[in-house]
Order: sequence, then C-alpha cells, then structure tokens
Amino acid sequence: MSLPASTLRSAKRDERSGRSPVGQFFLYLALIALALLTLFPFYWMFVLSTHSQSAIFSAPPPLWFGEFLERNFTALQARLPILRNIWNSLYIALMATVATMFFASLAGFAFAMYDFRFKRPLFAFVIGSLMIPPLLGIIPYYLIIQFLGWLDTPRAIWVPGMAGAFGIFLMRQYVASSMPRELMDAGRIDGASEFRIYWNIALPIIRPGLATLGMLTFIGQWNNFLGPLVVLSSRENYTIPVALRTLQGQAATDWGAVLTGTALAVLPLLIIFVLASRQVIEGLVAGSVKG
Amino acid sequence: MARTTTSTPQLSWNIRLNKLQRRVAPYVFISPFFILFAVFGLFPIVFSMYLSLQEWNPIQGLGTMRYIGLENYTWLMGDPWFWRSITNTLWIAFASGIPQHLVAIPLAFALSRGIQSFRHPLTAAYFLPYITSAVAIALVFQTIFGTQFGVLNQTLQYLATAPWSAWLFGGLADSLPVNWLGRAPNIKPAISLLVWWQFFGFNVVLYAAGLATIPKDYYEAAQIDGASGRQSFFHITLPLLRPMIFFAVTFTIIGNLQLFDQPFILTDGTGGTGQAGMTVAMYLYRTGFEWLEMGTAAAISWLLFLLIGTLTVIHFFFFGRSGLERRD
Amino acid sequence: MKKILALALAASLLAGAALANTTITIGFFDDFESHLNNVLPQFQELYPDVTVETRMLGFGDHHDLLVTNLATGTGAPDVVVLELGFIARFVAEGGLKDLSEAPFNADEYEDLFVDYAWAQGRTPDGRQVAIPTDIAPGTMFYRRDHLEASGWTIEEVTESFDSFIEYGRELQGHGVFLIADAGSVAEALIRANVPAGDGIYFDADGVPQLNSERFLEAARMAQIVREEGLDAQIGAWSSEWFEAFSQGTTAVELSGAWLQGHLQNWMAPETSGLWGASEMPGNTLVSWGGSFWAIPGQTPEANLEAAWNLVRFLTTEPEIQLAAFRTMNAFPAMPATYDDPMFEEELEFLAGQPARLLWASIAERIPGVLTFAGDMIAEEIFGSAMGEILNEGRDVQAALDEAQMLVERRVRR
Repeated sequence: MSLPASTLRSAKRDERSGRSPVGQFFLYLALIALALLTLFPFYWMFVLSTHSQSAIFSAPPPLWFGEFLERNFTALQARLPILRNIWNSLYIALMATVATMFFASLAGFAFAMYDFRFKRPLFAFVIGSLMIPPLLGIIPYYLIIQFLGWLDTPRAIWVPGMAGAFGIFLMRQYVASSMPRELMDAGRIDGASEFRIYWNIALPIIRPGLATLGMLTFIGQWNNFLGPLVVLSSRENYTIPVALRTLQGQAATDWGAVLTGTALAVLPLLIIFVLASRQVIEGLVAGSVKG
Repeated sequence: MARTTTSTPQLSWNIRLNKLQRRVAPYVFISPFFILFAVFGLFPIVFSMYLSLQEWNPIQGLGTMRYIGLENYTWLMGDPWFWRSITNTLWIAFASGIPQHLVAIPLAFALSRGIQSFRHPLTAAYFLPYITSAVAIALVFQTIFGTQFGVLNQTLQYLATAPWSAWLFGGLADSLPVNWLGRAPNIKPAISLLVWWQFFGFNVVLYAAGLATIPKDYYEAAQIDGASGRQSFFHITLPLLRPMIFFAVTFTIIGNLQLFDQPFILTDGTGGTGQAGMTVAMYLYRTGFEWLEMGTAAAISWLLFLLIGTLTVIHFFFFGRSGLERRD
Repeated sequence: MKKILALALAASLLAGAALANTTITIGFFDDFESHLNNVLPQFQELYPDVTVETRMLGFGDHHDLLVTNLATGTGAPDVVVLELGFIARFVAEGGLKDLSEAPFNADEYEDLFVDYAWAQGRTPDGRQVAIPTDIAPGTMFYRRDHLEASGWTIEEVTESFDSFIEYGRELQGHGVFLIADAGSVAEALIRANVPAGDGIYFDADGVPQLNSERFLEAARMAQIVREEGLDAQIGAWSSEWFEAFSQGTTAVELSGAWLQGHLQNWMAPETSGLWGASEMPGNTLVSWGGSFWAIPGQTPEANLEAAWNLVRFLTTEPEIQLAAFRTMNAFPAMPATYDDPMFEEELEFLAGQPARLLWASIAERIPGVLTFAGDMIAEEIFGSAMGEILNEGRDVQAALDEAQMLVERRVRR
C-alpha cells in the first residue's frame, strides 16, 4: 500500500478511538523517561571509553566524551590481537545463530504442528533440560571437548548449544500462535513434503519470531564467557569477552582500554539488534497473516 | 476413487512413502536436540549426580573422589547459609520478576498500538541494558549507590538541608549518609532493581514479537464496535498474547532462580553483609570453585534443580493449558 | 649478574644435552605481563633449548581456570603464579608439586627469602608447594597535611591502636575521616600477634580460632571506629575509595606497600608529596598480599626440569627480583636485594621519605604463620561476621561465636 493511504488510515483510527492529544503527550513523556533510564548507562559506557583511567574514577565522573579514545585503543591493540578476537566472536556467534535458527524453528514447528506419540514427555524433557544449573557442567564439558579433540577450536563452543531448549520453546510458542493448521493441510494437498511445508510455509510466517531468536542467540553467544574461557587456550583464538578479561589484573587494570574494548565489542550487537528489530517492528505494523 | 486404488504400484508406493515421511517427520525435526543432548548434556548430568554423592576437592584430580552417600544433602539441610541463599533467591526472583512483566506487557502494547512514531528507537532503548557490559553497569550502580559521593545520597543530603525542602526531608539528616550496598536490608532491593532494569526490555522485545502475531483486523473490528484502547488491551491483546506470556514467565522463573551476575556485581562477589545478597547460584559457585567442595556444590545444584522444577511444574499446572494452546 | 653467568655456565654444561628442545607454558595474570616480557628473553638466553609459551588471563579467571585444569588433570600451564589470597586453595595434596622433594630440594633456598613469605608457601604437613616472588609488607599510609593540622606526631598516632583511635577522634573535629573502612582495622589486628606455629584462623592442630580473644579484640576495635563515625564506610577498590584518596577525605589507610604505586600512578597522582608511610599502630607486623610461583602436579616429567629452572630464575635471582620491583612495583621477597641503591631512593610521592627501607625492615620482622586449606572459607565467614557487626550493629561475641560454629561445621567434615 502507498504511504499516504496508511497515514490516512491511522489518522482515522485515532479519531475513532477518541485518543486525546493530552493522553498521547503523557504516554510519550512516560515512555521517554523510561528510555532515559535505560539509555544512560549505555551512553556512559561510550563516554568512559574515551577517558583515562584516573578520569574514569574522578568525582564527579565525566559525562561527556574525552580525548583518550585513541590512546586507549592503541593500548588495547598493543596488548591484545583485538581485531582477531572480534572476528573469532563474530564467527562463533554467526555459526551459532544460523544453526540455532534452523534447528530450533524446525523442532518448535514439530512440537507446535504435529501430534505424535510421546510428544508431551519429549517436550517436558526439553523444558527440563533448561533447569539444570549450568555452572557445574564446566568440568564434564571440558572432558567431552577433550575427548572429541575439539580443544581450542570454535566448534567446541557453538556446536553444543545449536539446538537449545530456549529456542525450541520460543519457536514452538511462536508457531502455535501464528500458523493456522489449514495452511498445513493446504500444503499437503499441493503435495509438498513435510520439510517443504516447514521451509516454504512456516518459515515466512514466523519471521518476526525467528528474528527475535536470532538476535537473542547472537547476543547470548557473543557474551558467552565461561565456555570459551575453559576450552580455548591460545590468545589468537580467544573470543572478545575472554580477551578483555585478561586485562583485568589484581589491581592495576587499565580500565580505559577495557572500556574501549567493551564499547567496541557492543557495536556488532547494536547492528544485529537494528536488523532484527526491524523484522519484529515490521511484523507489528503489518499485523501478521490473517487468522 | 476406485481409479486411484487400481493405479500403478508405483503410485501406491509413493503414497505409502508420503505417509511414512509424514509420520516420521516430527521425530526427525526434533532429533537434533536429542542427539546433541546425548553427546553434550547427558554426561554432565550423570557426572554431577554421581559427584553429589562424593567428597571431592577438585584440585586433587578426578581419581580422588570419596563416596559419602547422602552426606552432602544432609549437611546442606542443616546449613544456615544454604537456607539463607534459598530465601534470598526466592525474594529476588519475585521482587524483580513480577514487575518485569507488569511493565513489559503494557509497554509492548503501548509501543505497538498507542503511539505512531519513535517505535523503533524506544524499543531499542529499552533493550539496551540487556547488552550493556557488566563493567559499565557496575560502575554506574556504584556511582549511584556510593555512601560518601553517591548520587542518591548527595541528592538526599541536598533535600534534607536546602531551605525549601528541609521541612519535608529534614528528618532524614540524622540517618544520612545511608550505606546502601553495605546494609543488609538494602541489598536485596538493590539487586532486584538491577535485575528488573536489565531484563524488562528483553521482555518487551519478546512481547513485541508476540504482538506481531495478532492480526490487525481484530483491533480494527473492535474499534468499529467502539472499543477503547483499554478494552482492546484486556479483550484482544492479553488473551492472544497468552502463549508468549507463558513462555516469557517460564523463562523468568528459570532464569531468576539461577541469578548470578547481578548479585555478584553488587556485592563484589561476597554475598553482602550477612550474606543478604547471596543467591543459590552464587553459593554453588563459591562452594565448588572457591572453597573447593565440589561434591557439596553438586548437591546444591540438584537441590536448586528441584526448586526450579517445582516452581515450573506449578506454573505449568496452572497456566500450561492456556499457555500451550494452539491458535485454532 | 655474575651469578646469572655462573648459572648459565652450569646449565649449559650439565643440562644442555638433557634439555633438548623442551616447550613449557607459564600461566599468570595480567599484572605480570610487563615483567615477564622484560625478563623471559634473559631466560631464553640461559636456556636456549627451552621454549616458553605464555598463558595470560584476568586475575580471578587465572585462578578459577587453574581449578578446572587441576580437576580434569590436563590443560594447566607448567609454571603458574598464585596470589596469596588464593594460595590456601591449592595447598591440598596433589594439586601442586611438593618442591621440598627431590629433584627440586627447594628447602636449600629457604634462607634466601623472608621467613614469613616462605612459610606462606608451606602446607601444615611441611610440603613447600610455592616459592615466594613478591611480598607486601603491611604499612600505614598517612596524609601529612592532616597530621600537621591536628598537631600530632606520627609516633603518637602509631603508639597503639588506642592512640590511633584517639587520633581519629581528633580528626573528627577537623571534618576528616580517620580511615576508609573500619573493617581494615580488624583485618590488620587479626593478623597481628598470631601465636607462633599457628595459622591466622586455625591453631597448629587445625582448630578454628574465630572467637578467640585475638578476634574478639580486633572486632571490638573496628566496632569502636564505626560506631564513633570515624570511618567513611567506603569499601576498597570502589570509585569512592579512589575519590577519598584524591580529595583527602580520609587521613590514613592500612595497606600493603604496593598501594603507593597505585596512588602515584593513577589513583591520586595530584596528591604527590602529601603522603607518608609508617609502621602500623601498636607495632603490628602483618603481610598484606604477595605472589608465588608453583608447578602444578600434572606437569609432565619431561618438563619438570625446565619448569623448575624457570621458577628458580624468577624467584632466586636478585637481578630478576629487582627487575620485577622496577617494572611492576612488586616488592622483592629476597632480603639480599634490600642492599640495592633502589631501596635508599627518596620517594617523591611520600615527600622524600626513603620508605622502601622501612618496608624492608618490616618484611624481615613479620613472623611466619601457617597456611591452612580452610583459610579461604574462614576468611569469608569472618568477613561476613564483621559486616554484620559493623553494618548491622550485631553483638561481637554472638557474631563471632556463630562464625566459629560455621567454620567448625565446614572443617569437621
């Protein structure tokens, strides 16, 4: 549809529901106040990345950008193969994201659209696997990775989690609430295989949910710390969180450099977020498929 | 009909094959999870179950475990710090978990239906705490809650002494400065606040994705019938959002009972005065990796599993029927 | 330098053939990087057949990962650094090589080191598992300007903890806090006057001492400081702590000698010349940190000789110790280095005071205490009890009785 038509329509809607400009004003005010609360520390992280160690800890703390960014970045580069570390994180997070989006949506689709024997206990098992506190798994995880001969390789990190229960549950809920069963039958009548139905019919419908899952997986993997710390052993293979933590000494941490690295490491997440949330917001605006 | 049955054997073979793939498909689709679980998930579970019955100092190596039966469990039952960590965890889980959803649901609704512009930047802003680094968060919260130079205390100090506000806040002067993170009664609220702040935006994004599944026609039809924004929220949004609410709450339960980072940041890894901020996950980590009682740590992890399992089952029992229902 | 040459000669003559191309890994945390980058080339010159690889991690991660490495029996570096606070974690049998035994025979080096540091690397059952590299004699930093304004002398302040607190009351009149955290007073006092042959938290037989007179007295002193409002209630390493130093809101700090380097370099460089260092009040002699080198139990037989050579190179060579002092402000554990001109240097930051001589003399007088495996948990439980006493006004006796009970519960198992 053309732009004027849609604005016309929303204007009409406002008129109908009798939404008052005063109400709108206060709604915006509340929304923006809340946004400031969440924006500030994020903004501050960037501000601090441009200051020196002693400026970071001065009172009152700096609220505007300083001139130390270049020096901090130089210090960072002198001590870490920082671009290499970012690339490692990027590679691992992308592999994990693509694999998770595929396997989780496939399984979520199955749990949502089919009736099969043992479905309930199998689903309960998936949910149950989430409840096991992960901290202690670190020793056996190391032993498995060692057994497989995967120590110090990226796949040791992204393969184990690529069909995680979180994604399966999210996708199950999403498929269940957005895909009508008639579409399954229609696909079958057309002679499509079950996988085709998933690929050609289900996937396009669940795009906003899939984007959400992809974004959360990417962020989760990007920030994953314990796994990489234990199985990666060479500086060139470290992911960015592990690499940055190596700069945190007993006392003499160069916080300027650490914060510059932190700010640098968050940029890819921002890009991923913008890409993914466009899918979600467009889904919101379009209002999904017709029920 | 008759014609198809008498057709070539080739075709009936196809039909049978088609039936077979339809029956097998769901199992194939869910198999990756179970295969990966068998490789990577099973052994850690068996290992920690076995471990919970042993006494083991990890630095002595795998060969030095000593079987002690249920001693780890009985010891924990009589351990004051363990029980404190359980009550702390439940307190923080509820105090941060419930407000998360009470804010996130209406917020997602307001973003999708209530406003025309700035949808994107506002959603992004709410989500930012989820990707802000722990270091920056720790610095910010230290700056806010500091005793001598903290923003909060400075503000209170000003209010208590400034002529225009002293009549109202003057009574505070004696109790200032407040030791926010040092005093036991303040630690849990501070942690809950941090958790809430960090995750409500995450839930907004989940709910926004959930709202995208609700057909726009429903709202338009409701508007034609003269429904107000509030009415459409309660009669269209909430019921149709149920699967996503169910999902998000399930994850809040599971995630909040395993809280580790936030209490660790705010108490500097100590658990705070009187261990008032020590969660079970923190206690587990410290028992295993700092105090090197891995067997006891394994027992804690199973007791925590039991707690999470119980609460999740209760949640499924009450809300599972509507939360897991299908669209049609 | 002569000694290094002699060592090199000996090494090339005796071991040159046996050490054909060994690769060893050294594991450390951030702070050691500059020092090792500086001295490892010298080691390579001495032992051309040994290749040294490095594993650097964050401070906490280094120690945590070592636990996992030892648990799984693989992946640990061949030589590791351990910070004092963590050393108790690793004294259990099997984790680290017993260096008292052949072929190491570390005991022959005992006299090279200050007594107490050597004792810290020793288990109650007499195994030397770690060799000290740097130490942190406890000292009291004080602001000269506040002292002058009060009309007191430093000798009057440090005469006893009672006079120390009296000084705090005086400062109160000038609107200055005595100290950042009352807890550090207790931390110092429990480490003072430990009966010979005991540990800080346990006696020689391993019985916890948390409600003994030493602990009760320490807690009471700290309580007085807090209740009279003499401390600023600021925890160490917070931004408020740094702020207190640069603004001079607190008058003294009990700490290791290393604090001077941090103050000078980044915490409060603008306060140069305003500081002094002295002994702690009441002739209290305590150690406030330190690091050790050790060899994990899993280090393969073939690497042991090279690993031990590296440990000896890093710990028993005065030149190397002094290099560490220069590059990372790590106070040497070897009294033989204390004659170096470096020690007589007048420190500008401390208004020209040759404080290193003072710290050296403190280091040589600190009595040795035993290290017990339960030290970490006991320290934790004591810290928690102090928190309740100071922040919640809990009764000293009741809090420490409970602490004693909690430690007993753990160690009796």
